[in-house]
Amino acid sequence: MTDELIDRLSAELKPTAARDLEKRILLAIALGLMGTLLMGPIVLDLLVGRPFGGAWGSPMFWGKLAYTIGLGLLGLVAVPALSRPDAHRVWPFWAAGAVILLALAAGIAGWMQADWAMPVLMGGTALVCPWLIILTAAPLLMVLLTAMRRFAPASPTLAGFGAGLLAGGFGAAAYAFYCGETSMMFMAVWYSLGIALTALLGALIGRYLLRW
Amino acid sequence: MQADATEKRMRELMLAALDGDAAAYRRLLAELTRYLRPWFARRLSPSHASHAEDLVQETLLALHTKRMTYDRSRPFTSWLHAVAHHKFVDHVRRHAIRPTVPLEDDAPIFAVDDSANAADRRDVDAVLTQVPERTADLIRQTRLEGTSVAEAAARHGMTETAAKVSIHRGLKSLMSKFAGSGK
Repeated sequence: MTDELIDRLSAELKPTAARDLEKRILLAIALGLMGTLLMGPIVLDLLVGRPFGGAWGSPMFWGKLAYTIGLGLLGLVAVPALSRPDAHRVWPFWAAGAVILLALAAGIAGWMQADWAMPVLMGGTALVCPWLIILTAAPLLMVLLTAMRRFAPASPTLAGFGAGLLAGGFGAAAYAFYCGETSMMFMAVWYSLGIALTALLGALIGRYLLRW
Repeated sequence: MQADATEKRMRELMLAALDGDAAAYRRLLAELTRYLRPWFARRLSPSHASHAEDLVQETLLALHTKRMTYDRSRPFTSWLHAVAHHKFVDHVRRHAIRPTVPLEDDAPIFAVDDSANAADRRDVDAVLTQVPERTADLIRQTRLEGTSVAEAAARHGMTETAAKVSIHRGLKSLMSKFAGSGK
């Protein structure tokens, strides 16, 4: 029985490229990003009515871009290690938590100077922002999780969480091009919430989808 | 150290296999089987010993389909250990088996190799063909796998006394067949 299995497996052996896992992740990100970037003009602009470059020219636009891409990159650092059975790399998650706390601290300082004015916190889009970020990130998250089904994560939940952080970060960056908000507090609360929810969604899906 | 030599040999085979060397791959899988079988068997209670073979196959299959997750710069044995452990935990959960082996028994996979046992087991199998199938199975379960007579009898739908008689007769007939030249 086992001998037959060994015969069959060695007969169908195909060479595996070096760094195959990393290449697959990058390919999935490239494909998924195309979908996420298309969500901008199609869903955000046409359906939701957000013109491209709403916060154009504000320094906060670059702040949002750096913040979201930074969080996405922390997810990218975690995903390859978490896709293996013998590695456990969760420091990027702690780092992401620290980055979010720093942004919140800076946001609260700015909000205090603005005398706790409600618009600084809520802007005009606070209640849709997290949901639109999840929506924008969804194509990237789905393509990435699908590619990761071939991996062997020690913890499917953690691997899904990493994929969600990656997709949430990059998805929020794509969303920032269609978002007119320019307050630090707004970003620290609502962008972080959108990214965190995407990460939790990834963990939830990963828990079932990435089992092996 | 022996462990280092095992790691070096296994890793070389795995790297060759990743480059498409089917002969090295076959040798790797065959060698791993010899280590994995006793490793799983130790972790299963005697009544679940028959699951060890399934687990070996599941592990080899996972090694095959997930081989891209092996990072060539890291030790192979620890990767394989992680795969085997994952398969064991998954199996135990799926079959709702309560592991009875103490958890502190964390001897590495590569500590015991059962090639000698395999030869013994083949001899035992050959000898047991000399008695009726049910008797052979009862002997295997009670004398080799450590199942209680009551449990083995229940599996065959017989009373404990009948099972005892059957085992006794079987062993007696084997003694008369094989003990002659030995003693």
